[in-house]
Amino acid sequence: MGNIALGRYLPLDSPIHKMDPRAKIMAMLIMLIAIFFPSGWIGYGIMFAVAAMMILLAKLEVGFIWRAMRPMLFMLVFLLIINILVVKTGPVLAAIGSFEIHLDAVTQTLYIAVRLLLMIMFTTCLTATTKPLDMTLGIEDLLKPFEKIHVPAHEIAMLISIALRFIPDLIDETQRIIKAQESRGVDMQEGKLKEKIQAILSLIVPLFVSAFQRAEDLANAMEARGYMPGEPRTRYKVLKMAGRDYILLAGALITGTAMAVLAWVI
Amino acid sequence: MPIAFKDVSHVYSAGTPYEYRALDHVDLEISEGKMTAIVGKTGSGKSTLVQHLNALLLPTEGTVYIMDRTISAKEKPKKLKSLRGAVGLVFQFPEYQLFEETVLRDTAFGPKNFGCTAEEAANRARQALTLTGIGPEFYERSPLELSGGQKRRVAIAGILAMDPKILVLDEPTAGLDPAGTASMMKLFSDLNKKMNKTILIVTHDMEQVYRYCDEVVVVENGRIREKETTAEFFRDARRCNEMGMLPPSLIRFIEMMREFGFNVPDGITSEEQLAEWIGREVKHG
Repeated sequence: MGNIALGRYLPLDSPIHKMDPRAKIMAMLIMLIAIFFPSGWIGYGIMFAVAAMMILLAKLEVGFIWRAMRPMLFMLVFLLIINILVVKTGPVLAAIGSFEIHLDAVTQTLYIAVRLLLMIMFTTCLTATTKPLDMTLGIEDLLKPFEKIHVPAHEIAMLISIALRFIPDLIDETQRIIKAQESRGVDMQEGKLKEKIQAILSLIVPLFVSAFQRAEDLANAMEARGYMPGEPRTRYKVLKMAGRDYILLAGALITGTAMAVLAWVI
Repeated sequence: MPIAFKDVSHVYSAGTPYEYRALDHVDLEISEGKMTAIVGKTGSGKSTLVQHLNALLLPTEGTVYIMDRTISAKEKPKKLKSLRGAVGLVFQFPEYQLFEETVLRDTAFGPKNFGCTAEEAANRARQALTLTGIGPEFYERSPLELSGGQKRRVAIAGILAMDPKILVLDEPTAGLDPAGTASMMKLFSDLNKKMNKTILIVTHDMEQVYRYCDEVVVVENGRIREKETTAEFFRDARRCNEMGMLPPSLIRFIEMMREFGFNVPDGITSEEQLAEWIGREVKHG
């Protein structure tokens, strides 16, 4: 469980780590939109260079990106198979009897693979360099303008931060319960279907009980400290945009516009 | 020799930045039929140590011998089920393992997993529940609606119903009230004395160690610092203090009397003996 790379924060010291989460979230959103402009291989080449530069700046290792990408490989292989079966345009690459594999099937899959890779590179640049808490502060601030149309910005941010906060706890709890039930003779790996259902039940029920217990404790602790949703709150950590944050935003805007122009020209 | 550790190390998250050596070349033998206390500070490796006893954790290096089984770092062990039935492991706060609809069915869950028929399992469950002081009026109730102390008793009964030869308890009385603690410890002591079970108990409470246990194992930074009989271990209150543990009140009391110049002899192990000695001193002295 400790090896999940996608979306994990890495405590390093880099210029990207120091940037304002709001600027990083905005820049990432712009880049994600830019990825979907059909800007051709030149465009993707530029985007890849930008992403690589960001990863270098954030001091992330290539291995980390690879580990984040790995769960997607299965999906890509699946997609390739579907494309080979469905796409019947472009020159024929190979033929087995009446079954033909067309070039477009491969290029289309490749396009999606490149887009996925770019998306993972950019999102990892955000999630690996931003503490979950800072991320929720950023999300809250970015949602602020929508409060006018009754979007509960603070509540959404609080929900996200609580959910993130409890993921490691629940993983620990799961492992604890698995061990306790294994001590009572449960076999989590093998066994007949009926035994497997029983095994899963012996894990799920205690997990739910403890999750609800934790939720209740947390709600009580928050109330005891005077937390009232919807009431104005001050903040311990006040976000402030600095020069480098504006540079990041400007860079993202320029790249995004360049992609849009490229897509127009092509 | 029911339990022996030979040069056992356990490393968590090996090969990552989070690598942590919880056990560091441990050599240890646990005597059969004794009640052994495992003491040590939080994070010293006690829990890691006891989880090797039913192969929930496997050694990174070295070999663990448990009864007729050998578990070594090199080979992946097979058929762990029989071992898990023979070594009953009660985790800290075991109430979270309750999940069945009724108390009786939850207690019978363990024996059923180890191949008992439903009837046999229910019989064993009833016996175990009686031992832990849960009466028949609770059998058909949901274990989740019991009080904290009752849940603990049901959870421990769930392990006892497996009828293990070796019983390993990780802080079984944490969070119980004094009366509950005393009756639990009495139960474990009876299981040891009357039913001849080998018992290992992880605890921070030196009173319990002093009153109930035969031997003491001190774990420190993943190593075994001491292993000796309870009498030897408590001969000197300073050693407890050195290890950051509060000695039992009787030991502290004797120590204080000695400081005041009373010549209290060695070998006094209970309040009654001490009172008797003081009585004699007052009459004759």
